[in-house]
Amino acid sequence: MIDWQPLILTFKLAFITTIILLFVSIPLAYWLAYTKSKLKPVFETFVSMPLVLPPTVIGFYLLIAFSPSNSFGSWLNNWLGIKLVFSFEGLLIASIIYSLPFMVHPIQAGFSNLPKSLKDMSYVLGKSRTTTIIKVLLPNIKTSLLTGIVLAFAHTIGEFGVVLMIGGNIPGKTKVASIAVYDEVESLNYDAANSYSLILFALTFTILLVVYLINGGYLNHIKK
Amino acid sequence: MNVLKGNIHKLTVSNNLTLVSTKVNNIEIFAIVIDTVNSAPYLQEGNAIDVLFKETEVIIGIGETNELSIRNQFIGKIESINSNELLSKLVIKTSVGYINSIITTHSLKRLNLEIGTLVTAMVKTNEIMLSE
Amino acid sequence: MIEIDIHKKLTSSLGEMDLNIQTTITKGSLVTLYGNSGAGKTSILRIIAGLLQPNSGNIIVNGETWLNSAKRINLKPQRRKVGFVFQDYALFPNMTVKENLLFALNKGDNTKIVNSLIEIIELGELQNRKPETLSGGQKQRVALARALVQKPSILMLDEPLSALDSEIRFKLQQYILNVHKEYNLTTLLISHDISEIIRMSDKVLEIEFGKITRQGKPNQVFNYKDLSAKFQFTGTIIEIKTQDFLYILTIRIGKDLVKVVADETEGEHLKAGDKILVSAKAFNPIIHKIG
Repeated sequence: MIDWQPLILTFKLAFITTIILLFVSIPLAYWLAYTKSKLKPVFETFVSMPLVLPPTVIGFYLLIAFSPSNSFGSWLNNWLGIKLVFSFEGLLIASIIYSLPFMVHPIQAGFSNLPKSLKDMSYVLGKSRTTTIIKVLLPNIKTSLLTGIVLAFAHTIGEFGVVLMIGGNIPGKTKVASIAVYDEVESLNYDAANSYSLILFALTFTILLVVYLINGGYLNHIKK
Repeated sequence: MNVLKGNIHKLTVSNNLTLVSTKVNNIEIFAIVIDTVNSAPYLQEGNAIDVLFKETEVIIGIGETNELSIRNQFIGKIESINSNELLSKLVIKTSVGYINSIITTHSLKRLNLEIGTLVTAMVKTNEIMLSE
Repeated sequence: MIEIDIHKKLTSSLGEMDLNIQTTITKGSLVTLYGNSGAGKTSILRIIAGLLQPNSGNIIVNGETWLNSAKRINLKPQRRKVGFVFQDYALFPNMTVKENLLFALNKGDNTKIVNSLIEIIELGELQNRKPETLSGGQKQRVALARALVQKPSILMLDEPLSALDSEIRFKLQQYILNVHKEYNLTTLLISHDISEIIRMSDKVLEIEFGKITRQGKPNQVFNYKDLSAKFQFTGTIIEIKTQDFLYILTIRIGKDLVKVVADETEGEHLKAGDKILVSAKAFNPIIHKIG
């Protein structure tokens, strides 16, 4: 029988990451979609970096940044009592950064594809920016939001390099399923590795399939 | 198009229609319009008004014309004639001013119309347009 | 009374353009902005609504300053009392017809006005439908009703009728005129259609390349005599033939071709392609029922 803890930890991490990302990404994507600032390309590049950088690079820099042996890490540790290296919280922050583009890009595209007149009209009708976002814009980009949520969730499940760098491999704390697979293979427990892998494969396959079905409109008749 | 300048003299309203009596050179010209003072504010007695009608709507008669149903009648002399195969154009000097008329050349010949002939130019009340 | 004095550098498809507009609009009047596309008409409406920022200018609406660049007054769109009907209608796809109207209410407003607008603009049967299921004319009516919910000081319509076929168009012109009178609105309308302008507007502003080139009553701007004639159409001359002292004009009026005889004084200044107003007394036409 396999140890379920890494799987539970994986889903807990993915779940919390997704929730936080959702709240971070909506304002960020809104800003990127509508800003006329010259700084926009710089921010867009930063958001997209995790797509191209090897995960180990991100993990490495976060490890350095969070390490209690440098000033930022020790400040966090001494003043806020937060230890980000080899902890669940550190893992969470790394995951948020690592999955950021997967949440921001679909939402930004959703905002950009909405007719600008909807936003203008809401303003003309006397509604504030917040009301406009919540009541007009977000309800009309539901599929983009769903895509962002699912991609970020699935991508967090699939991460390995960053998690290994910043989280280490502490059972119950930072040992997620992808690392457990690696661990079991290293120990030549192919059966256990296979169990973890199959479960991850089946779950991520299902999640992505549901997204494509919904976005492709195949489920419309079911909704009605 | 014939354009005569005058004033509104009297208005007789019946539901949607107004019979407008205008005075041009102190001679009455009548027009009937689908308007009342509500839909056309210019319909006020005393207002200056243009009286318009198309040349092709001017009927020419000679001799006694009292027995006709045409209310607007102006007596005058033919000043010029421009005659073509089918149509002829007359300019008549009347008491309300110069009036152009286009009639068939056949009628021109039948009535023996020449420059100087005394004629009555006639326009039906429903053919007259008004303009501020 | 609305006083407008605005300047804005615009970059359009035709290159740089200086939008420079000074005019006053009488309260309760219906004013049409007329001109080629790209002349800056939509930009004028967007500046009045506060959606586009001019480089400088003043906008004073019934004594209230909406914009005064010298004094750095610039009300947000939310605080300007305008009703706006966009060219694409901008109905909120996630809301039903009624929800679209209710959304326009301010907090604490009585919802009565929504119900009476639904009645006036005859949307009763459509009120629980989503915009995507409506025809162009129906969307237009919803957008018009929604623009009226807040009882605006100015109602602005950006080519509201251009996408509609002529029958629905005519009906909507009536709706717009009715609400314009009923709510004593000051209305700004963008239109390319001269017969529509003649039928609807008190005043026309002709805009060319960002400037007002002509303004006044429709008959002054389009230079025709206001006749008592009721049988009136605008059309385009297709062909002119002369016959003795007469001109025989072939004119396209809407989808129909008609022939009209003109005399020398009328015909000598005309050429093919000219837009003309054709008028006749209403007593001559003979009517046949065909459908």
